[in-house]
Amino acid sequence: MNREIDNKTILDKFAEKFCEIIERHTKYFICSGFTAIAHGRTRGTEDIDMIIEKIPIEKFIQLHKELIREEFECIQSDNPEVLFENYLNTGLSIRYVQAGKNFAPPEMEVKFAKGELDKEQLKTRKRYPMTSLNIYFSPIEATIAFKEESLKSQKDLDDARHLRLIYQIDEGEIKRIKREIRKIKR
Amino acid sequence: MRDKTHDEQIERWAKFVKENPDKWKTEIKLFLDAQIIMAQRFYSKLAQTKEGREKIKVLRGL
Repeated sequence: MNREIDNKTILDKFAEKFCEIIERHTKYFICSGFTAIAHGRTRGTEDIDMIIEKIPIEKFIQLHKELIREEFECIQSDNPEVLFENYLNTGLSIRYVQAGKNFAPPEMEVKFAKGELDKEQLKTRKRYPMTSLNIYFSPIEATIAFKEESLKSQKDLDDARHLRLIYQIDEGEIKRIKREIRKIKR
Repeated sequence: MRDKTHDEQIERWAKFVKENPDKWKTEIKLFLDAQIIMAQRFYSKLAQTKEGREKIKVLRGL
């Protein structure tokens, strides 16, 4: 019996299947809440946040078609050109769910990378064996920095605290990323 | 209400996760799955009601 496969949650399976498809077309990383949940935070979430490397429209159309073939659907539109021009290219996210489930969660919220911090995380993305998932995440230090410096809700601060307790954290790296976040906010 | 016991529970659970990498998911799998199953069941029921699909669009911010 494969214990790890048996242990995978609905959210795990949804995320792994989606990420496998994305990786065939472009680079991505998962960030924010699902990073904490994949590391054992016991809380619910409706969406998983994904940043992907910016790709041209032709490539995005191929990616979208494969997602549809693999039984995902996009909440905002069935038309990949609309999704690209009206959403991704203007900095908005697009949301995919499992097809035929009345748009019920879970959903994958996909955005194009923008700014140096996103680009940096695409380069430094990591798989974390502790999660048992075949998924690239943003580095833990970046997750903590965003939750403590930018998001700041009680849920986000609890996520950051949990991750700090799980790993030996590079505090200097967190400080550096927080400085970069403050520059963006200005 | 969040008091110090809230933080203590975060610490207690994080310690368990760290010390039991092969066990922690088993402990919470049903809990995590239940939230998705309940949401999907609800959306399915809602879709069958009058104006249900319109309500779903509002819920999903469409």
